[in-house]
Amino acid sequence: MITAHSLTKRYGAATAVDHLTFEVPSGVVTGFLGPNGSGKSTTMRMIMGLDVPDSGSALIGGQPYAELAWPLRQVGALLDAKAFHPGRTARSHLRWLALSNDIPLRRVDEVLDQVGLTAVAGRRAGKFSLGMGQRLGIAAALLGDPGVLLFDEPVNGLDPEGIRWVRHFLRDLAAEGRTVLVSSHLISEMSLTADRLVVIGRGRLIAETSVADFVARSGGGGVKLVTPDLAAFTTALGGAGATVDGDDGAGSLTVKGLTASQIGDLAAHHGLRVHELTPVTASLEDAFMELTQDEVEYRPSSMSGSTVVGEGLAVLGEMER
Amino acid sequence: MTMTDTLQAVPPGHYTPRQVARSELAKIFTLRSTAITLGLAFVATLLVTGLVTNSALHHSPQYYFGFDPTQESLTGMITAALTGGVLGALLISSEYSSGTIRTTLAATPKRPVLLATKMAVTAALTVLFFELLSFLSFFLGEAILSGGGAPSASLASPGAARAVVMTGLFIALLVLMAFGFGLIFRSIAAAIAAFAGVVFVLPLVVHSISEHAVRYLPSNILTNSIMATVSQGPGGNQPLSPVVGLSMMVLYAAIPLAVGAVLFARRDA
Repeated sequence: MITAHSLTKRYGAATAVDHLTFEVPSGVVTGFLGPNGSGKSTTMRMIMGLDVPDSGSALIGGQPYAELAWPLRQVGALLDAKAFHPGRTARSHLRWLALSNDIPLRRVDEVLDQVGLTAVAGRRAGKFSLGMGQRLGIAAALLGDPGVLLFDEPVNGLDPEGIRWVRHFLRDLAAEGRTVLVSSHLISEMSLTADRLVVIGRGRLIAETSVADFVARSGGGGVKLVTPDLAAFTTALGGAGATVDGDDGAGSLTVKGLTASQIGDLAAHHGLRVHELTPVTASLEDAFMELTQDEVEYRPSSMSGSTVVGEGLAVLGEMER
Repeated sequence: MTMTDTLQAVPPGHYTPRQVARSELAKIFTLRSTAITLGLAFVATLLVTGLVTNSALHHSPQYYFGFDPTQESLTGMITAALTGGVLGALLISSEYSSGTIRTTLAATPKRPVLLATKMAVTAALTVLFFELLSFLSFFLGEAILSGGGAPSASLASPGAARAVVMTGLFIALLVLMAFGFGLIFRSIAAAIAAFAGVVFVLPLVVHSISEHAVRYLPSNILTNSIMATVSQGPGGNQPLSPVVGLSMMVLYAAIPLAVGAVLFARRDA
């Protein structure tokens, strides 16, 4: 369990993280989502005690990181792609880490095997590709078999097979009851990996919710309707309590608030022609865009169920375009 | 609190300087740059001592008036001062340049404990190494001098043992001073520049301002107060006594170390 309470970090005049409060429960993968420069890495560094917050706190199992008795046995982290000396071999890197927390040295070979680096364990880490460096970072995170894991952009530099491996392995770690926080700016990746989301933009919390909830709440999806009887249909839909978007003048609408079958029934009831009726399932990416779009156009002061920060969404909007 | 807390059997107690020291030692001995720097210090020191003492052979008797065989045989340690500076700067700033410092702080996040242990390990290793080198340089130099029939000294000669032991200590203190600069600047280049500035450039500047002040600088203390066993002769510009000189060097090392330690405790990694 990780808890961040009103975390704030300023760099001069710029506020990198702004009163950020969220929780990371155990047993699920929590995705930490936001565009580049939104404060994800800074937040993770503050959780790790590497950066000192200007105000607020971050606790791991109720303790500040610096108070942990055996840090590597309690928390494993992959923060930088290459947080190792290029002159050391993969094995020596893991060895000194193991020694620092009295971790049995057999764990070194175990984690090397787990991440698939056994064959290059004796090679200097400076010669590693980005993907291999990433695997070494993951091995270091797993070394102490910790209950809490933080991964900052773990799939960076990995090939498709590596990405799939990380995805499965994050879910496995969570299934074992561990606390897993994984950051990404890749929305599609998060939709495949995470159960819960902490979404931030410009250092502020935008949403803290489940992936399903985030998608549903965005009002994403809907039903695509193509009809020549546009005006009559719009009136009928309005009467049935649906909302209509995206009238492009070519008779194509996106209807929300009604299912495809309800719309079909409505058409039959009013004797309206239907040329196409397609349910559109929203992806996380759509949800993201949708929230962003709403925010940019209408700037609501709040959104039901969770914190919404207009400015942050506006940033995300810019990022997505 | 949740499953997480029962998942791992975290052993009782907590990490101590013992674990930090073991990992720091493992770090130092798995870097090629450490071995190269130490190897270079070793070879260069003995080579310079060999050349210098050899060139002191077969001169006329007047040449040996005021000749200090101990100082002569320790000349190579001046090159050890340079490589020692590089070593000290390298040991800490390479952690920053490679990003390893974040991994180190993740493993052992109590900064005062980490830094104190790191300094202690660095100090212990460098004292050991440079004492050994100082003795080797002395024995080599004296063997060449006595073999060539020039005046020579032994550890029993007045001041000789003191000079040899203090020279090793002095170089170790220079290493720690460079370590302090590395801690402050977090860049190998900047740390070595600061070190070279104090040890090799500052004497030139100070000398042109005041000849008297030069004796307070590390380079002069090393050659005239620490290595020397024979008084430099009459005049008002006497070098500092060995004890005062070494104490000055302790101060030279302590200042950047203290500044670096304060910064280390406060700064974001």
